[in-house]
Amino acid sequence: MERSFKEEVRSLKLGAGEKFRGEGILAVTKALLQSGVSYVGGYQGAPVSHLLDVMVDAGDLLAELGVHVETCTNEASAAAMLGASINYPLRGAVTWKSIVGTNVAADALSNLASPGVIGGAMIVLGEDYGEGASVIQERSYAYAMKSGIWLIDPRPHLPSIVRAVEQGFELSEASHAPVMLELRIRGCHVTGEFIAKDNRRGTWSGIDKLGAPAPFNYDRLAHPPVTFAQERLKVEERLPAARDYIRSHGMNEMFDGDLAGIGIVTLGGLYNSVLRALERLGLADVFGESRVPIYCLNVAYPLLPDELTRFCAGKDAILVVEEGSPAYIEQQIATELRRADIQTRIHGKGLLPETGEYGSDALIRGLAGFVTQAAPSGVDGEALRARADALLAHRANAAKAIEALPPRPPTFCTGCPERPVFAALKIAQRDIGPAHIAADIGCHAFATFAPFSMGNSILGYGMSLASASAVAPNMERRPVAVMGDGGFWHNGIITGVTSTLFNNGDAVLVVMQNGYTSATGLQYMPSSKQSRTAGLPPISIEGTLRALGVKWLRKVRTYSVGTMVRTLKDALQSGQHGLKVIVADGECQLARQRRVRAEDAARLKSGQRVQRVRYGVDDEVCTGDHACMRLSGCPSLTLKPSSDPLRSDPVASVIDTCVGCGLCGEVAHAAVLCPSFYRTEVTANAGWLEQTRQRLRRRVIAWLGGAMPEARA
Amino acid sequence: MSGVARPITLLIAALGGEGGGVLTNWIVRAAERQGLPVQSTSIPGVAQRTGATTYYVEIYPVPAAELNGRMPVLSLSPNAGDIDVLVASELLEAARAVAAGFVTKDRTRVMASTARQLLMPEKMAMGDGRLDGERLAKVVSDHARACWLFDMNSVAQAQGAMANAVMLGTLAALGDLPIPVETFEAAIRDDGKGVEANLRGFQAGLAAGRTPPADAKGEVKRPQAALAATQQLENEIAVAVPEAARAFAIEGVRRLARYQDAAYARRYLDRLGPVCHADAEAGAQGQLARECARHLALRMAYDDVIRVAAAKLDPERFARIAASTRLKPNETVAVYEVLAPGIEEICALLPPWLGRPLMRAAQRHGWLGRVHWAMNLNSTSITGYARLALLAKLKRLRPYGYRFAEEQRAIDGWLADVVAAASRSAALALEVVECARLIKGYGDTHHRGSDSFAAIKDRLIAPALTGRLAPAFATEAILNARVAALADPDGNRLAICLQAIDERRQAA
Repeated sequence: MERSFKEEVRSLKLGAGEKFRGEGILAVTKALLQSGVSYVGGYQGAPVSHLLDVMVDAGDLLAELGVHVETCTNEASAAAMLGASINYPLRGAVTWKSIVGTNVAADALSNLASPGVIGGAMIVLGEDYGEGASVIQERSYAYAMKSGIWLIDPRPHLPSIVRAVEQGFELSEASHAPVMLELRIRGCHVTGEFIAKDNRRGTWSGIDKLGAPAPFNYDRLAHPPVTFAQERLKVEERLPAARDYIRSHGMNEMFDGDLAGIGIVTLGGLYNSVLRALERLGLADVFGESRVPIYCLNVAYPLLPDELTRFCAGKDAILVVEEGSPAYIEQQIATELRRADIQTRIHGKGLLPETGEYGSDALIRGLAGFVTQAAPSGVDGEALRARADALLAHRANAAKAIEALPPRPPTFCTGCPERPVFAALKIAQRDIGPAHIAADIGCHAFATFAPFSMGNSILGYGMSLASASAVAPNMERRPVAVMGDGGFWHNGIITGVTSTLFNNGDAVLVVMQNGYTSATGLQYMPSSKQSRTAGLPPISIEGTLRALGVKWLRKVRTYSVGTMVRTLKDALQSGQHGLKVIVADGECQLARQRRVRAEDAARLKSGQRVQRVRYGVDDEVCTGDHACMRLSGCPSLTLKPSSDPLRSDPVASVIDTCVGCGLCGEVAHAAVLCPSFYRTEVTANAGWLEQTRQRLRRRVIAWLGGAMPEARA
Repeated sequence: MSGVARPITLLIAALGGEGGGVLTNWIVRAAERQGLPVQSTSIPGVAQRTGATTYYVEIYPVPAAELNGRMPVLSLSPNAGDIDVLVASELLEAARAVAAGFVTKDRTRVMASTARQLLMPEKMAMGDGRLDGERLAKVVSDHARACWLFDMNSVAQAQGAMANAVMLGTLAALGDLPIPVETFEAAIRDDGKGVEANLRGFQAGLAAGRTPPADAKGEVKRPQAALAATQQLENEIAVAVPEAARAFAIEGVRRLARYQDAAYARRYLDRLGPVCHADAEAGAQGQLARECARHLALRMAYDDVIRVAAAKLDPERFARIAASTRLKPNETVAVYEVLAPGIEEICALLPPWLGRPLMRAAQRHGWLGRVHWAMNLNSTSITGYARLALLAKLKRLRPYGYRFAEEQRAIDGWLADVVAAASRSAALALEVVECARLIKGYGDTHHRGSDSFAAIKDRLIAPALTGRLAPAFATEAILNARVAALADPDGNRLAICLQAIDERRQAA
């Protein structure tokens, strides 16, 4: 990637006693090194991208520690990497965004969890749930339960997170099972500090290499008949071992309170939110002293029945705080308490919402409802209810004063190479009629928002073409599948392209070749022009498609809207049966600008020729019909009040952030829009020839009675 | 559990890519320098691409050193009704925070930019779809304990800085955080990136936090300069045109004299006369004349290649381009005009006996909007300039062209409708005038607008003039239809609206 993580790398190098300051996900990264990992891998995705980004930039440090870093092509390959810990005492960690990444990794995870591990194996999950999430809303918890992988959900507090990582490896080794460490979005980005320890070199690593492979041991294979024994091992040996470790190391926390007749069972990740709600209700102070006893589950799975019954014994009622459905923890607690014949009432879903993130209002309503219902002595129920009502009135009052405001979804950046493709697709469909559009994951999914509002389905990362495979044979017109180069390598090449070719399918595939996995933070991928392994040539998408047997293949520069419109029409209307692939080629503008800006500044400084290109709109020619907006949506193309005293509608305007990508002009041509757009090319440090030509032009035009743009003296 | 200090909470509402993360880091760094317990969180995710996002900071006002080892448990998410300071880089985002309950009268200080970054639907609307900025500002200030609003983008731009540095400066000046100004400055220096520009922005923000800067004026209107040829007409306007309509009428005659000639300007005034008369008869108090003066001038000065060529070569335009591109001496410049004249533009200039059949043929064969010549014409090159100058010179031939005839006929028909409508009710006539707003733009947009206009004329205006529709009903129906016509580019809403009006009429 173009961005540098030098600052972050420096904090990875901190030694014992030094103070680490930074975000949660960086603290995890440091904790991995303090735990002596031998390998790290993963697939980028918010909110855990930084873990890998920083590792990739920390080449020298990792070489020193002998840590191997793999930027995997998808989560399945990352999960499979953990296979190294099945046979060898190697600690390793992988990371991805969950739930989606865990879904992709599921096959390997099952096959990892069944034989179990001897080296600590950790999966760092970015739990993309609630506000700011970009994926389907499901809980990773189900995977932990079904596969027998322990799920750590630490308090969102850097020392707790670091301890969770360190203990997680020990837990994994003590119980021979992989562990998941789950951090929510805000938990990944929470800032704080902790006292660092020295980084540790793994017993075996790239420096101290294993001498020989493990002897053949059928028990370590996920293959019958040992899979039956492994199922038993998970429940009868690994689970008790895990519980022993969790109990004896006090991974879960119990906080006493004077209202001993009630209690709250919360996941570690939600602890701070619960505490703040209690504090606002007058049931806790800001330092975490709560009047209601709290059992904080820093390990979400497995539960410890003995700890649980100890906490619940003598309590009239407890409230279980876990987000999302199903309420796995509440269900397990109900079972455990029933078995132990403990009559404590269990509250949870009902008082708290069944779905969605637990924001302040949800928790205040739930906690106040719980305490007033349980009515422990020592709390004035009426006063508490009144207090809660006052807190909850804020949002309701605001809603009365202001109507629902229109949302502001993300959009393509200024100059994005993908925007023109959708402009072309819109124009092509206007001319020849609509097509089924299979959308995908990536920046191009922004085309599902205005002004394009395109896409009939999204089935997962790299899945667009596969998701159209049953649409194509059942529809008159060929479907169009849009896929990024990231999605292509993530799995679209197999699930989409290969499968379509193998089945002689008939569809149009547009591959957005922008050179990076841009939506996740500009990481390199197999077809990137550069990569972190300098010297290796990129793997060509076109070459790969040809090798697979794609016959109809066109590569079109994305900004050439007219050519793209023609190519799309050709692909949609061609009489030839079979897969038609258009490689839409244009470098990610965010990456390009980062590079070009620095280059231009340097050239300007050294007196070399630099050209600034941007677009403009003649406000007296623009009539304010905004047809250009409906084909662009560029953040740099906006509105301003008309300068014409007779006109009231605002007119189009190109603002300073324009990078001169050319889309405005291309769209004006391809869709035959108004003649208000113009392009300016200003050249600094122009050569002698250019300067002379400029002087000549100025003189002749002046003689003709005209003018040119002149710099103000 | 009272008497203990609570954390100071700060919510930053911003758009992805605006530097909200950097601003958050500066604040965190400044608090750390003061030894105060501090925590920030964010939800950047995909929202980094110009979508709405927030950053949240909690600062405990007592230094960690004085807490005897106890540390506050800080919240990761903002709580409704529990925000001390809201910083918003954009007005709608400030209003969004209000709607979420984060701005409350008892405690929240709001510091927001009045600058708007328009949403897609606001930009896409065919007329004016912008939200009312003044109303948003009022909603924000009505809910806040104290409110500090100014255009942070303009202040930043004037300093060549990012708006986030301005925000930090204003935040420091307002003094809601227990952090002195120098510490914020030190945080910028600690960061080490773009320090000079950021400090400039910070200082500007500091000043803006002490005395609010006057809001930069929006784009000023550019009326036509006076010219000798219309002096006589303007004298007549002062007598014959109601006061309310005079400014538009003067603008109209000047524009048309430049667009064509003094005779054409005279024709404008002659056309306006009956409307002024009808205005007085109907008791419209000049409003009808005023709106008609406006639309009539725009319709008579319709957009054709001749006008576009003249506009492109206007020396004032090149001066504006020089300013907007920040052209420096010794820099060379080229301006490329993005043009795509089609068959219609050519027909427009041909005499009617040739233009009309050619247009019909083009319509039959579907050439309209298809057959065109895309060009990027360099108006700063000698040949490019000469070609445009030649086109502009065709002005004298314009009145003999096909389109000129068509436009004049349409204008006369429309004016006749306006006058006829005025005899029924002033409100109805005003609605007929306003329908001219539908006819604008070029190519497809112009066609759609003309089609919408024709549909409203046939289905509503004509029946209203023959008395088949009651004036009050027709007035409302035309207004609704016009709004519907501007609601979507495909005319679907207009069709639905006209259908609904028919049903209502039959029911009545």
